[in-house]
Amino acid sequence: MTSRFTHFIGSMLVLASAASSSGQGVYTNFVRQVQLPTGTQYDVSVDSKGSQLSALAINPGGARFELWTILSDPLTSYLLDNQYVSSYTPNASVYITTEDPYTTIPRTRCDRPFKVTYTVSGLLSGANDPAASKSVTFMRYIQSYGSNGTGIDIDRTQASLKTKTTITGNGTSTLNYAVTAVPGGPLTKIWGEENFKIYTIADTNAPASQLCSAMVQMWPVADGSIAGITSGQLIRVAMPTLTLTYNDLYPASTTYVQVYQGNPVLGTTGTVVPGSALVLNETLPVDRVLTVSGYDSVINADGTWTMELITITPFGVDRLAYVTFSVNRMISMNGTFTTNNN
Amino acid sequence: MKRIHLISILAACVQASGLYAAAPTAGLVWRDVVTHEQLVVRAAAAAKNDPMLKLPPSTVDETLVARPQDILTTSDIISFGGLATLVPKRAILQIPVSYRDRITYVKGSKFKSWPDFFRVNRGWISALEVSREQAEGKDPIDAETRKVLTDGGNLVVAVYKGGPISVLPLKDDKAATDSSKTSTPAKP
Repeated sequence: MTSRFTHFIGSMLVLASAASSSGQGVYTNFVRQVQLPTGTQYDVSVDSKGSQLSALAINPGGARFELWTILSDPLTSYLLDNQYVSSYTPNASVYITTEDPYTTIPRTRCDRPFKVTYTVSGLLSGANDPAASKSVTFMRYIQSYGSNGTGIDIDRTQASLKTKTTITGNGTSTLNYAVTAVPGGPLTKIWGEENFKIYTIADTNAPASQLCSAMVQMWPVADGSIAGITSGQLIRVAMPTLTLTYNDLYPASTTYVQVYQGNPVLGTTGTVVPGSALVLNETLPVDRVLTVSGYDSVINADGTWTMELITITPFGVDRLAYVTFSVNRMISMNGTFTTNNN
Repeated sequence: MKRIHLISILAACVQASGLYAAAPTAGLVWRDVVTHEQLVVRAAAAAKNDPMLKLPPSTVDETLVARPQDILTTSDIISFGGLATLVPKRAILQIPVSYRDRITYVKGSKFKSWPDFFRVNRGWISALEVSREQAEGKDPIDAETRKVLTDGGNLVVAVYKGGPISVLPLKDDKAATDSSKTSTPAKP
C-alpha cells in the first residue's frame, strides 16, 4: 500500500533534461502535484534527472503529477507529461517504437509502420471493487501540423479522437500500425502526430485522469528532381550544370546524386556526384536546392549512363528521381598528311 | 583519318575534384519512392485492420477527461533582480504593499526553481512551513504566527517540507484570505 501513497517522478524527468538542454532558450522545469479532490497544489523541487519520493502523500482521492517546463523569453509553458495516481486506480504505461532509432521523441515517416506497446496492471475484478479499479480507457488521438508544420506551439486539445476502447485485463500488448492515420493530402505529405493515452474511469473522487501517454511524430516522404539533363540526352562535351531540388528530406538522412554506367537498375551502387551530397541530423524535414557543375571526372567513359537521386534514411534507400543519358566525346576528323620531300 | 579522343583533351583541362565513394547502403532495402496512390491503398487497409478495434469499445465521454490547466495561469510569478519563480496560487499568504510590483513576471527575467530563487531572496521573502491540514483548510494558521509575519514585513509563501503549497480557505471560513493576489485553486 505504501507504493500507492507515494510516487516516483523519475521517468518524466528524462524528458525534462532534454528540454532544458535546448540551444534555443533557457528552460526551467517544475513538477506540480495536484491533490484530488481538494485541489491543493504543491510544487516539488527536483533535479533534471533521477527519481524521488513526493513529500506530500497522496490522498485516497489521488493526485495528478504534472511536469512542466517554462521558457523564460518569450514566457511560455509546455506540459511535458502528466500522470494520475491514486490508492486504487490501476497502473499503466505506453510507449511507441519505430524504425528510427532517434530517442528524444519517437518519430517516423508517414509511410512507415510503428508499434504501440501498452501495459496495464492492478486492475481488479471483485464485485465490491470500485468501478475505477476495474477498467481503463485507451484512446488514440491524431493531429495534423498542417503543410510544413513543425508541431511547435500547437494546441493539443484540438487533436481528433480516432479510436476509443476499454481495457479490462492486466498485461502487456503490442499494436502494429502499417501507416499513420494523420490526415492530409497527398498522403505522402503528412506532418503531424499521434497520441496514445490511457485514462482512469471517473468516480466521485476524481474525473477521468491520464495514467500515461505516448506520442509519435510523422514526417513527410521526401521528393526531389534533377534538372539540367534530360532523359536520352547525348552529351558531347562537358557535362551540363545540374539543379538538384530536394524537398522534405527526412531529419535523419543522407541524400545525394549518383551515376553509373548502363541502364537504370534499382539497387546499383554508383559514384557520388561531387557537390550533391547532403547529410542531415535534424529535428525537422529540410528543403534544399543545389547547383552542381564540373563533375565530369565521374563520367569517365562513353556510353549509356544513369544518374539517380537517392536518399538514405532509417527506413532504407529511396530513389527519388533518375535520368538516363548518353556520352560520346569521340571526335572524328577527316584529314590527310602530306609530306614534301625536297 | 586521325581520331582524337576528346576526353583526353578535357581531362587535361578538368580540375580533378576527386571521386566520392557512395554512402554505405549494403544491407538496406532499396525502393522507388512511395506514391500517394500506393499509400491510399495502404491507409485503407490499415483503417480496416486497426488493432485497437479488436478491444471492447468505450462509451466514456472523452470531453470530460481532466486536463491540466496551464501552470502559468494556476501560479503566481515572483520576479526580482533578473530572476523569477512561480508558486501555486494561494501559496502567497502575505504581500506587503512595497512588494506588490514583484508579484508579476518581469520580461527578461530568468526562471529559477523555488529553492534557488528563495535562497538569494531571503532578505525579503519568508517561507512559512504549514501542515497538510492547514494547506487543506482543515486547520487555521494561528493568529500569533500571522502577527509575527505581518510585523516582519516580508512576502510570505506557504511551504510544505520546503515546497510551495497552496493554502485553501478554512472549510468553515468564507472570508477572503490575507493575500491580495490569490484565487481559488484550479479544479482538476
